[in-house]
Amino acid sequence: MQVREVMSTDVISAKRSTKLRELLNSFKNFHIFPLVPVIEENNRLVGVVSFRNLIDAFRSYHPDVLRLVPFLDEEDQDIFKIDVSEGIGDLVVVEDLMEHEYVSLTDDTLVEEAYDLMRLHLKEELAVTDKAGKLVGRIGVFDILKAVFRHKGII
Amino acid sequence: MNTVLGLGFILFAGLLSAKLVKKIGFPAVTAYLLLGILIGPSLLRVVPKDILASSGLISNIVLGIIAFGIGQNFSRYQMRRIGRSVLWISVLEACGAWILVTAIFYLILRQPFYLSMLFGSIASATAPAATVMVIREYRAKGNFTDTLLGVVAIDDAWCLIIFAVSLAIAQAIYAYQVAPFFLLKVLGESLLSIGGAFVLGALSAFLLSVLYRFIHTPTELLILTMGLVFINIGIAIWLNLSVLLASMFLGTVLVNINRYSFKFFDSLKMIASPLFLLFFVLAGANLEIKILGSIGMLGLFYLIFRVVGKMLGANLGARIAHASTSVRKYLSYALVPQAGVALGCALIAKTDFPEAGNMIFTTIVATTVIYELFGPLLTKYALRKAGDIIV
Repeated sequence: MQVREVMSTDVISAKRSTKLRELLNSFKNFHIFPLVPVIEENNRLVGVVSFRNLIDAFRSYHPDVLRLVPFLDEEDQDIFKIDVSEGIGDLVVVEDLMEHEYVSLTDDTLVEEAYDLMRLHLKEELAVTDKAGKLVGRIGVFDILKAVFRHKGII
Repeated sequence: MNTVLGLGFILFAGLLSAKLVKKIGFPAVTAYLLLGILIGPSLLRVVPKDILASSGLISNIVLGIIAFGIGQNFSRYQMRRIGRSVLWISVLEACGAWILVTAIFYLILRQPFYLSMLFGSIASATAPAATVMVIREYRAKGNFTDTLLGVVAIDDAWCLIIFAVSLAIAQAIYAYQVAPFFLLKVLGESLLSIGGAFVLGALSAFLLSVLYRFIHTPTELLILTMGLVFINIGIAIWLNLSVLLASMFLGTVLVNINRYSFKFFDSLKMIASPLFLLFFVLAGANLEIKILGSIGMLGLFYLIFRVVGKMLGANLGARIAHASTSVRKYLSYALVPQAGVALGCALIAKTDFPEAGNMIFTTIVATTVIYELFGPLLTKYALRKAGDIIV
């Protein structure tokens, strides 16, 4: 079974220039914040934003800059005490939050491989692209579990 | 105290001292280093001999891990992202300190050339921990902060390259001091050490990338990465190749052939922190306070001319890249701290050059303490002058 048979094609995505406020508003009726693929004009996948990245809105610099720097103290910022203005909703854009290095799949990947990849990289959702790198869907552990349940005749 | 109790005590005391020192605005590395000096053989003598004797082992592992991480800076993505001013400033401030300290030690202090070059190459390092801590504390933001973060992030990479090349040359000079065809032998030996490291690192990267296909869980990934990084370091030591460059090339080749290479490094991060703590405490514990008095002029000249070299280099880099006036004027103030990479390089020098190494190491530990204590103040001054923080 390939990923394209199991994935959901109905994906809310963002652009690099999408403002934090717009991004959050897209999900105001959801009770979770899913993985949001970031695409360019031609639908090419260039990054992802997960709820973990949202905390970076409170940072004064992109954490990617220091990702490879050794011996740094971990930042324990208290998000309840940080003094930020309402303006960050419009000032912070997806480009400031997104992960440039991310795990993604092509739609012809076998579901078993997709599951392995999620387990290995501790991810619950991955963006799916076609061979040319254009976003075509997303797949989560739940989609895979559902497929397995269906295969076993449970649902 | 037995070895296991000693290890436990170091980790526990390290954690406590880091928490304490953080309250007065210094990074954890400063706390670990001062703790090491305090509990080391020169003062309280509570570090067990076995642990002290394993300093070389710990520093090889830690430096191997950080060089592996630093090697990933040379990915296509990172290279595209790094700006013109960051590139010029970082290369020239590192080279500025390297060249000036080497020249002053050789020409004015009349030290042997290989020794001057080792001092010079260690001088090129800048420790970002204190700088980043100040940036975070005051939530500094702006063009100056962006350039500064870029420079401190890439600086260690230049330092490792400069040190590895200098070390290879210094070792060859030391070994062939009285041999005929001196220059030819020095050149040949250095090229072999560097070229061999590249081949070894590249081979390990391909092997790691192939074996990755058989890995299914994060635990296996950690074990595989650690195993291969260690094998890579071990073979480099065995074949007399540059350990730093072999690890760095492993990271660099890997990041360019494997799209998930960042995961290898991330997995090592989980176990790296306690090792880093041990590394700094042991660096402090290895300081022989009785030698401190004899380094007088060396220490003073190193302290001054490292900073002067960085200032001249950063200024020149900023001019070439047409950076803003504040970057040109104040950026070098924030490049004063020195810690992990410099201490690691000094430990290598101590192991490789038994006679002169102790003096290098003592000078670097003593100056590190001074730089780390004044570094945050100078960074704060630079950020305020540049208008990126209001204090």
